[in-house]
Amino acid sequence: MKAVIFDGAKEGDLTIKAIEKSIADQLTENGWEVEPIELRNTQIAACLGCFGCWVKTPGTCVINDDGRETTRKAIQSDLMVWLTPVTFGGYSSELKKALDRIIPILLPYFQSYRGQIHHKMRYKKYPKLLVIGVQEPGVDYEETFIALAERNTLNFHPPAYAASVFQRDKDPKTIPVFVEEQLKKVEVIS
Amino acid sequence: MSQPRNVLLLIGSPRGEGSNSHAIGKFLVDKMEEKGLVSEEAFVTRLVNTREGTERLLKSVDNADIIVLATPMYVDSLPMQTIKAMELIHEHRKAVFPTKPQMLVAIINSGFPEKEQMNIAIKIIQNFAQESNFKWGGGIRVGWGMALNSEPLNEKKGMTRKLTKGLSLASLDLSMGHPMSKEAEDLASSLFVPLFLAKTMTRLFLNRGWNKLAKDNNAQTKMYDRPYELSR
Repeated sequence: MKAVIFDGAKEGDLTIKAIEKSIADQLTENGWEVEPIELRNTQIAACLGCFGCWVKTPGTCVINDDGRETTRKAIQSDLMVWLTPVTFGGYSSELKKALDRIIPILLPYFQSYRGQIHHKMRYKKYPKLLVIGVQEPGVDYEETFIALAERNTLNFHPPAYAASVFQRDKDPKTIPVFVEEQLKKVEVIS
Repeated sequence: MSQPRNVLLLIGSPRGEGSNSHAIGKFLVDKMEEKGLVSEEAFVTRLVNTREGTERLLKSVDNADIIVLATPMYVDSLPMQTIKAMELIHEHRKAVFPTKPQMLVAIINSGFPEKEQMNIAIKIIQNFAQESNFKWGGGIRVGWGMALNSEPLNEKKGMTRKLTKGLSLASLDLSMGHPMSKEAEDLASSLFVPLFLAKTMTRLFLNRGWNKLAKDNNAQTKMYDRPYELSR
């Protein structure tokens, strides 16, 4: 089983680094192959909004850079993990640059799904999804963050998902237990 | 907020002048110009990746009394470069503590017909406004964006009548330094056809539009390709 971790943190974010390490350690102990990707060190250009990945080279972004590789790794994984500082209630620009380029894993065609219009699935199988945000003290965007992750599941069709917020001022020693809870929620460890 | 003198139209779409974000934002800002405000346009995709561009962006934001952020919805929130601009503006304002009252207005557009799909994107911009010490001027959610076809908005056209009426109403409030009324917000966020009809038409007709685009690119036989599929 393979897991890919999209690390959307800035350089020097020790909390996200610790969460990433704990996820990798716990998954590896359970026999998983884990690939963390520090998105800040990748060359992923911004999505052009051209729809080329749907109508020119269906399934592949027209931009030939690391964005193609992160998309390939995501769809070929069994678990996709998104790590990000909670940014105004949403994701950081570093994480979002990879997510904006992931849309060729869907078809352009529209369907009604859970009462709303969404894109149809291109692939038969999608990875499970775990979304973790690290939130600064003094703000409370947990509700928005979780709602965003839930909306993403309507488009990315994970067979299981979990989304959670970790407070940056919390004792780092609690990270392994927090991570274990999240991995259990997505049913990748028991 | 006292009588505003200038307005900055900040475009978050990578499609620049040829985007729905620009068409909608420009209509609102033109209406504000008619009421005596001076306007400026900035495109985040051209600014956030260089130091010079970032300085220009921050200077334009500092100078504006009202900022209209017009951006598409990408993957349920905002495009990467719009978020990047918000991060840069926030960091800057934390450092310089601006004292001038400024107002931020959001316009989001999306291809999906349901305006509710844009609620989280609006909330994220609202949170940014609060954290960065901008007064909230209101948020407009324009669904079924492809029907606009990135053309300048026409007040006489049935398809854009509600949107242009709502934007015109919003311009009255904003030009006086007030947040837009709920009436303006709701009107500009209304579809020109009933939602059930828009949803049906999306499934029946817009899907054909994708096929036409694919045919134009000789890609019609590849539409369902799965280039990254593993044989498991």
